[in-house]
Formats: sequence, structure tokens, C-alpha cells
Amino acid sequence: MQRILTVSVMAILAVPGMAWAADAAGGADMAKAFAVLAAGLGFGLAAGLCGLGQGRAAGSAVDAMARQPGAIARIQTAMLLGLAFIESLVLFVFVIAVILLFVKS
Amino acid sequence: MEIIEHPPILHIPAIPDHILYTWIVMAILVVVAIVATRRVAVVPTGTQNFMELVLDQFVKELDETIGHEGRRYLPLIATLGLFILTSNLMGLIPGLVAPTANLNTTAACALIVFITYHVIGVRKQGFIPYMKHFAGPVPTLLKPLMFVIEIISHCARPLSLSLRLFGNMMAGHILLAIFFFMMGFDGMLGWALSGTLGGIVVGAPAALIMVVFVVGFLLPLKILVAFIQTFIFCKLAMLYIAAAVEEAEHH
Repeated sequence: MQRILTVSVMAILAVPGMAWAADAAGGADMAKAFAVLAAGLGFGLAAGLCGLGQGRAAGSAVDAMARQPGAIARIQTAMLLGLAFIESLVLFVFVIAVILLFVKS
Repeated sequence: MEIIEHPPILHIPAIPDHILYTWIVMAILVVVAIVATRRVAVVPTGTQNFMELVLDQFVKELDETIGHEGRRYLPLIATLGLFILTSNLMGLIPGLVAPTANLNTTAACALIVFITYHVIGVRKQGFIPYMKHFAGPVPTLLKPLMFVIEIISHCARPLSLSLRLFGNMMAGHILLAIFFFMMGFDGMLGWALSGTLGGIVVGAPAALIMVVFVVGFLLPLKILVAFIQTFIFCKLAMLYIAAAVEEAEHH
């Protein structure tokens, strides 16, 4: 399973390289291709792992609320702050992805 | 992005869009403030009532976070909160620009918070004791290391504060732009109106579904995000100020 995953990731990573090497356009197109790939893969990874983290945080918060309905307001505040901190890491990746995609270098 | 995004409806050459729309937000807030305080009554009505309700929320949060000294910082926090909330909500109207969807605006807000809480800390405590605080309660040998780490973490605060707000607003902006593009005259609606068979069979239902999805789900979500981001920005600013004030009280 792991070997298949590794091989497929390597194959995906090799595709733009081969495609752009074929028409011998030079370094700039190559860099653009890898920038697009990096933006997509990086943001996918970040969003998925952020989903795991936020799901865990929200689940624990709901657990705590069910146990102590009196403290719902304070738990909600803490949960929102935690979610914001988790989310900000994804937003760093989002900013990097936007820079990779739209800034001409 | 220029391909799918409509240019803002109001544009003055030589003035960047986010500054122009910052002025518009300022004008809205000033007008609301003047209208609310024109005839101040003991039993508030109308705009004054509404603004008192809004500011009461800020006062409640300040009392909860900073404590009895919190109301001194109401002008700062409430101004930041009202400005950010108004700009976030303005970005949801197609054709207008959210000033907070530009890193310059959010970085300005975050730097104000950063400088303010350091000034508050130094004023409460004096320069040397405040600096000693960065070293933390660790053995003497580890203090230089802790000092460097604390300095780095304090410098990361304005960075994350500004990038969080900017990223959220920018992502929402791009998402809405893409969806409006897909259901507009260049997308599904245009296909449905072109009169071809595929357009009538596939394009029209797709346009309908997309309109229902955007109006029923995406826009409410964006309104929620606008309020939550404002809340988080203000809450974090309060927490930073509270940390600077509390350190003075305990030592």
C-alpha cells in the first residue's frame, strides 16, 4: 500500500517535468509548472490536516459542552480561539499558494 | 484574477482601491457616530440604541478578558472591531472591495495592537522589569535562550494576526468571485441563454442550483466568517493587552 502510494506520488511529480522537458522550452515554464503543482499539493495537504485538527477540537468542545452545559459560553470562546489558531496555519499556506500562482517571478 | 473578477464600481486613478474603500468605511462609521450621538437621550432610541447594544458587547468581552481595568481600552478595541466588521461586510457586496482583503490594511491594524500592548506593558512596569519578563520562570542558565524564543514569538503575533484576517477575507473574495463567474453570463447562465440544447437541458438547472447554493449557503457562511474574524481579532488584542497588564499585577 505504502509502496503504491510512494510510486504514484513520484509519478505525479514526474509528469510536468517530462512534459516540459519534451518541448525544451527552458527553465521559466518549468518553474511555473512546479509552482502550480506545489500550490495544489501544498494547499490540499494543509486543508486536509487542518480538517483533522479542527474536527478533533470541535469534537472535544462538543463533548465538554454536553458534560457541562453551564460553561457553554466559555467553552465556545475557547473553541473559537483554538479553531482560529489552527486555521491560521492553513491561511499561511493559502498566502504562499496565491503568491506562487499569481506573482510573476 | 483580472479575467474573472469585475473591477470595483468606484475607482479613482492614482489612488489604490483599498485606501479608497477604507475612506468609505471611515465615512460610514463617522456618519453613524454623528447620527447616534446627535441627541443623546437617557432612554436611547433608534441609532443610539443600536450602537449602545453593539458597544455593550465590547464592554462585556473587555470585562471578561482584562478585568476591572479593561474599560480603559474600549476606544481602541471598539474602533478596531467596528472598522474590521464594516470592511468585512462591505466585501460581500459584489462590486465593492473589502479593505481587509489587502495585507496593508490588516498589517496596519495588527501593528497598532502590537505597539499598544508593549507600550502598556512598559508603562505599567517599567522597561527593565518588562524585559525581564520575557525570560520567564526558568533556571538562570536557560534565561538567554528563553529570551530569544519569547522575542521571536512576540514578533510572530502581528504576523499571524494580520495574515489570518487577510487570508480569510482574500479566500472568501476569490471563492465568491469564482462562483459568481461560474453562474454569470460567461458561465452557466450564458450557456442557458445561448439557446443551444445542452444549454437548456444542463445549463439552466446548473445555474439555478448554483444560485441557490451561493445565496443559501455561501453568503451566510461568509457573513458568519466576517463576524467570527472580527471577534477573534478583538479577542486576541484583548488577550495580549491582558497579558501585559496582568504581568504587572502579579509581580
